[in-house]
Amino acid sequence: MTAAVDATARGLREILATLTGRGELLALPAGTPLFGEAVALDSLTGTLLLREIQRRFGVDVAAEDLNLDALATLGTLAEFVAARRARAG
Amino acid sequence: MSGPVPVKCVVWDIDNTLLTGVFLEAGDQPPAADPELAAVLAELGGRGILHALASKNPPAAAEHTAAVTGWQFAAAECGWGRKSDALTKIAATLGLGVDTLAFVDDDPVERAEVASALPQVRVLTPAEATEAAGWPEFSPPVVTAEARRRGQLYAERRQRQAARQSFGGTRDEFLRSVGTDVSIAPASRSDLPRLAELAARTRQFNSAAGQRQAPPGVVPPDWFAGLLADRATDVLTVRLQDSFGDDGLVGACVIDRGDPAAWTVRLLMISCRAMGRGVAEALLAWLTRRAASQGAQALRVPCTIDERNLPLRLALAGAGFRAASQVPAGPATGPVPAGAPASPAAAVFARELAGPLPGLASWVHPDPEAPLPNARPEPA
Repeated sequence: MTAAVDATARGLREILATLTGRGELLALPAGTPLFGEAVALDSLTGTLLLREIQRRFGVDVAAEDLNLDALATLGTLAEFVAARRARAG
Repeated sequence: MSGPVPVKCVVWDIDNTLLTGVFLEAGDQPPAADPELAAVLAELGGRGILHALASKNPPAAAEHTAAVTGWQFAAAECGWGRKSDALTKIAATLGLGVDTLAFVDDDPVERAEVASALPQVRVLTPAEATEAAGWPEFSPPVVTAEARRRGQLYAERRQRQAARQSFGGTRDEFLRSVGTDVSIAPASRSDLPRLAELAARTRQFNSAAGQRQAPPGVVPPDWFAGLLADRATDVLTVRLQDSFGDDGLVGACVIDRGDPAAWTVRLLMISCRAMGRGVAEALLAWLTRRAASQGAQALRVPCTIDERNLPLRLALAGAGFRAASQVPAGPATGPVPAGAPASPAAAVFARELAGPLPGLASWVHPDPEAPLPNARPEPA
């Protein structure tokens, strides 16, 4: 992982921990599936997560990724967001 | 072009609007309620429209206003910030779009601030509010028992959210701890008014969202009735309750079994009130298991794509659905009046039913592999 992806992943962990009130998500491994048991991303939390990503990173994941493949794992989401930021910046 | 968006919540100012004076200037004898506007609260409330407060006052003013108007407000924002910020917060708290709010204030400066910051909000003077009951955007086409209880349901929702915040565990642990119960059953004729109401009101969780470009709320009244008689179609209802209260019928879907190998969900809709309570995930898991147990190999969900129904796309992605084909504009699959303009972008989400299926929570019933129970008996 590059430094930019690492930094993005840290930001995403903070957002998830805040949204769910679960501090243990700050230590979430990058390969964790977001829809799997550990995070159990549901439609409400997912909507709030993507809204916060747009606010904090300026990346509209929902508009750019029809299938929301980026949400497969914490790592894929961090890579997606970091790549769009690099391209825009 | 589309007609007015129906108003789901009226946000009221307090001083010289709902009250006949200024709360903080009245000393020991806080002002009484404006009788004419108190009647408007009751009239619109009876139609299932929510009421909320936005006031530059301490919270005690909201308590006093609730006491003298006899009304249970779904949300209250008291403070000295901008009223447009208060409206944005109220919409988020209630899970509503800002475009479904109306705002009533006697102060022209406040009205101008809200109209400028949030042009989609209907901004009214108190005098206009007394006439609003006659306007189409304040006149929902169907009013059901669920709608009349809506204020109380939102109060239960606030208690549930407070409990959730202090709970600490995962969402599923919380849902189990509060006795969540999701029941899925075939629709009966007595469900028809509520189905029409859900079709008119749901937006964030509606697979045909945005396709109804006639005045919102105009769903052909016999659309669901006709489907009940169709042997290749299932109309299923979803009911939700927990220890905080009974939300009643919060969702439904229409399944076309015309192709036994690939079922198509023609319409899937869930009330925004049920968001975050596992209902969408439960329904999609149940549907995939049901279709698989009946021998189908694939399940398809044609779905409008826009910025507002992202929650539905998230639930589909979480249940393993993929957009098989994207359709920029095409014939609608939902209840669309004839002659409606071309539909917005859409895609067909689909998944194979071989291999592992999404997990079904223990509080969802009946077992999708058991025969479907009969529709609930008709009221005598």
